[in-house]
Amino acid sequence: MDMNIETPEDQNEENSRRVQVRFKTKLKPPQKVPSNSIAIPSNLTRFGLSSVVNNLLQAVNPEWKSEPFDFLINGELVRMSLEQFLLAKGISAILTRMCDLLQEKVLEIEYIKAVAPQKEEEPSLHDDWVSAVDGSNPGFILTGCYDNLGRVWKAGGVCTHILEGHCGAVSSVNIIKSDGLKYVTVATASKDQTLRLWKFDAEELVNHPKKIRSFKILRGHKASVHSIAAETSGNMVCSGSWDCTISLWRTNDSDAAGNQVSIKKRKGNNQVEEPQLEGEAISTLVGHTQCVSSVVWPQQETIYSASWDHSVRTWDVEMGKDLSDIFCGKALNCIDIGGEGSALIAAGGSDPILRIWDPRKPGTSAPVFQFSSHNSWISACKWHNKSWFHLISASYDGKVMLWDLRTAWPLSVIDSHKDKVLCADWWRGDSVISGGVDSKLCVSSGVSIQ
Amino acid sequence: MRERKKSSAVEVSSVKKKKEKKTKDNNEPREQKEKEESQSIMKQQKNTTSRSKKEKQRKATEDYQSLRESELSGDEVHGTDHDVDNADDHHEEDQTDGSEGHRGVEESDSSEDEVAPRNTIGDVPLEWYKDEKHIGYDISGKKITKKERQDKLASFLANVDDSKSWRKIYDEYNDEEVELTKEEIRLVQRLLKGKAPHTDFDQYADYVDWFKYDDALHPLSNAPEPKRRFIPSKWESKKVVQYVRAIRKGLIKFDEPKEEEPKFYLLWGDDSSAAEKANHLAYIPAPKPKLPGHEESYNPSLEYIPTQEELNSYQLMYEEDRPKFIPRRFTSLRSVPAYENAVKDSFERCMDLYLCPRVRKKRVNIDPETLKPKLPSRKDLKPYPVACYLEYKGHKGAVVSISTEASGQWFASGSTDGTVRIWEVESGRCLRVLEIGEAIQYVAWNPLPELPVLAVSAGQDVLILNTGLGNEEEQRRVKDLLHVETPTAPDDNMASIVSWLQHDKLDGIRLRHFKVAFSPLSIFSCIFVLVLDLGLVEDHLLKNLLLALMFTLDGVFGRMASQGRLPLHVFHPTRSIFFVSTKKNIRVYDLLKQRLIKKLETGLKEVSSIAIHPAGDNLIVGSREGKLCWFDMDLSSKPYRVLKCHPKDITNVAFHRSYPLFASCSDDCTAYVFHGMVYSDLNQNPLIVPLEILRGHTSSNGRGVMDCKFHPRQPWLFTAGADSVIRLYCH
Repeated sequence: MDMNIETPEDQNEENSRRVQVRFKTKLKPPQKVPSNSIAIPSNLTRFGLSSVVNNLLQAVNPEWKSEPFDFLINGELVRMSLEQFLLAKGISAILTRMCDLLQEKVLEIEYIKAVAPQKEEEPSLHDDWVSAVDGSNPGFILTGCYDNLGRVWKAGGVCTHILEGHCGAVSSVNIIKSDGLKYVTVATASKDQTLRLWKFDAEELVNHPKKIRSFKILRGHKASVHSIAAETSGNMVCSGSWDCTISLWRTNDSDAAGNQVSIKKRKGNNQVEEPQLEGEAISTLVGHTQCVSSVVWPQQETIYSASWDHSVRTWDVEMGKDLSDIFCGKALNCIDIGGEGSALIAAGGSDPILRIWDPRKPGTSAPVFQFSSHNSWISACKWHNKSWFHLISASYDGKVMLWDLRTAWPLSVIDSHKDKVLCADWWRGDSVISGGVDSKLCVSSGVSIQ
Repeated sequence: MRERKKSSAVEVSSVKKKKEKKTKDNNEPREQKEKEESQSIMKQQKNTTSRSKKEKQRKATEDYQSLRESELSGDEVHGTDHDVDNADDHHEEDQTDGSEGHRGVEESDSSEDEVAPRNTIGDVPLEWYKDEKHIGYDISGKKITKKERQDKLASFLANVDDSKSWRKIYDEYNDEEVELTKEEIRLVQRLLKGKAPHTDFDQYADYVDWFKYDDALHPLSNAPEPKRRFIPSKWESKKVVQYVRAIRKGLIKFDEPKEEEPKFYLLWGDDSSAAEKANHLAYIPAPKPKLPGHEESYNPSLEYIPTQEELNSYQLMYEEDRPKFIPRRFTSLRSVPAYENAVKDSFERCMDLYLCPRVRKKRVNIDPETLKPKLPSRKDLKPYPVACYLEYKGHKGAVVSISTEASGQWFASGSTDGTVRIWEVESGRCLRVLEIGEAIQYVAWNPLPELPVLAVSAGQDVLILNTGLGNEEEQRRVKDLLHVETPTAPDDNMASIVSWLQHDKLDGIRLRHFKVAFSPLSIFSCIFVLVLDLGLVEDHLLKNLLLALMFTLDGVFGRMASQGRLPLHVFHPTRSIFFVSTKKNIRVYDLLKQRLIKKLETGLKEVSSIAIHPAGDNLIVGSREGKLCWFDMDLSSKPYRVLKCHPKDITNVAFHRSYPLFASCSDDCTAYVFHGMVYSDLNQNPLIVPLEILRGHTSSNGRGVMDCKFHPRQPWLFTAGADSVIRLYCH
């Protein structure tokens, strides 16, 4: 079936070059086109290709509603016109044939659904800067704020719980995995040098935001705590602080280590005295020379940390030693582990470049990917937990960018914040949540990542 | 006597020639003769020059001739009478004549002896004065008016009556009637006859032989030539034989005949080497003109002839760019016209010669690149601050001072709006605003991390304030420290200088300073910090130390106070050494010994800022004229390097605590970052490399960047601008 589809781009060009292509996809049948090869103009861009595919789908199924697609050639996303792309990538064998009009060789183009947020939800307003956000639980969003409070949000911008107790700005929040339990445990880190653990019923229906108090205070850091990360099982949390250390803490409320003395915490303003547990660090990882700005604990035995001393360190939890360091030359603000085999390290810092290292490669000092579309410091980066290719980054230039490793350009730029974006995360696998200096929690939903 | 006669004959003939040609020649004999003439004439006329005399003689002779022609017959007797007289006089005056002649020779120019003529117009044609009322000017510059001329008839009648009238001559030059004496007439008559003018000169006097000898018959010896004069000398021939033998034996060697160097010269070479050849110091070889080519031929080939289009395009060109010569064709050399610019060219050539500089300039053929010091590339000196990513906004007035906390998590800034703000570095959040109420001059954060207190100078006070950061234990300690009991019974010394008060509103201490009217308050803040450094938190110790310091430095500050300037100062990071700037110099004091150690001469107009390297051996000083001096204390009291970088005042300089970086900021709204490596090897001098100019601030009231501080741990630079913004430049 040879079809010539007229697209707006090639109306004027009668004798434009054509290239023989075949579309294939891993998508399910309604989105699958017949696997015949067709000749299309070589100056088509992603938009043109997308309309070609939509036309084909409509030809098969008249009720098909057109939707954007993204196209992959040899595992790379097409971002220029097809001809330019082929030239740039050096797929010359096809090009020469294309020039000779020997339409024998067929270029295989894989198409996937385009990844871009479809909808901008109503922002959830805070009283102060939103400094931290966690969307690892699909039921709710946990945010930390500069007004010393943590908040729990349901979908639709409803605040259900307010975590009250810190006397400094909350710098980092983390939802601790608690499978099959009614109560959800969360941990927050604050600039008042403590960490607090909280427990609440996420399913509970409330009309008014419910104030809750922490059940455990973790003291021990000598300076502001900057980041927190929970172990996969949820038994332990680790925290990175301005005192250059990473501390490990237990999360269970009945402390088996005999530190079960419940201390009556005296509040300054003669409030209700509430029994609170105090915890101490079970171990401290020393090695960084400056503020530990970000920690992640993706596997049981390894902690990754990024610091202002320009290094990314990998720690063995059992041994308490760092296994490897990567030096990047810039002060780092954020780190995340993900991607192929959950092994790639993405980190951003005091420059506009998001770097991705592959620690499995020998001699890993050089990043394997560098994304540099931001204009200012990168404050947060997060991998998608399902996809190997997608990650988001938030920057002080007020933008959240969605990246695919298969192209150097951002897939989409979420420009909903007016000032610095301080934190960002995925939520439910299809939404991007971000908080910033404009005191808003923005949710961009409809990101279709299969 | 024969020679003498000859000379006089020459004289006579020359005199005759002179009279005929009326020319002047300066032969010596004639001069002598004139001398004689003048002597005789001067007896009657003292005030006539030789010039006028000649003139007169000329006139006289002319008149006389005319007279003679008219009165030849009647006056014949007169003439003969004179002649007879002359003959009589001849012998009597013969001797005197000779002696006089000699005297005349010895005398110099005769005209000088004479009285100057009345008229001073000089040797100009007299016709010029024909129509004037005067004939000229006397010696004092006054006009000499012409005499009334008698009409012809009256003068004729007067001449007829006057028997002497034939002897009168009119001197036109002086406008006078001159009456010649009888002697003069006689002299003239003798000249006319071709005789010697003077009667007492005998033309044909006998020869007098002056040389007398015994054998007067033969003036020379008549003896024949002796034979020996014709025989070759025996001794000479012996000598010749001797030489010949010596030459044969090779004892005497002759110089080798010089090989004639071929006299070539490089026709086509340039003249650069000619200057070296010429031993004339100021010899400047003329540049060689371009040799003529085919196009300058009178009949060049057709390809040299410009087309009409080319000619038109020449018209559009600038005068200078136009070709000087446009080839044309002529059938023969004869038809080539004259060169039209000949006059113009020669004029320009003259102008060139006149205007060209006559100074030899030594042209130095040095590539300017090689003169640059070999500095390492900027890329190798990374990291250093490059770009601004964060701005800290909130102040309402110019930010005057900033100070970072030791860990680099926070920093404080003071502004002219009367507030001190504490900022979080990483997020740009203003954590706290401390309202002081007076314009802040200086802010200093305690370098000890366990006591998060801030020293602020505002107005005439120093405030020591609690920042409110840190955990409870730290806060408790800070509160203890900052608590002041009720003003105790004042210590005698203390009362005169400083009083400690609890701050009314904010959590802190107010140090009120009484003695000096101006505010040397940043000093106190530094002192305070030093005191905290030493761990002296007990009040009396602190006070004592402050006192000691005050008295040590009192002299310096007192004098500077009188100049109305704020002294700048810095403490040595490790030793008890204190640096204070006077207007132009830096004084270095040892605080323990309490005396001056060293004086650093900056050579600047006015020191505006100083900073010390964390190792303590190097000091940078910024000045009001935009110069930056680097002092190496080990080298000398003169600056090791002076960098002229800023076009305006340098407001502050800063060293990085750990990276080899230093920076200066200026009122031109820029901050410069330099690499300043200090080596521990004493033989190696510090390496200074300019790295980056940081821009971004805007000017406000003529002020630009007011302060700059490095982040204590990162290679980042904070700049405080008069535009009320603080910027952070990152690497």
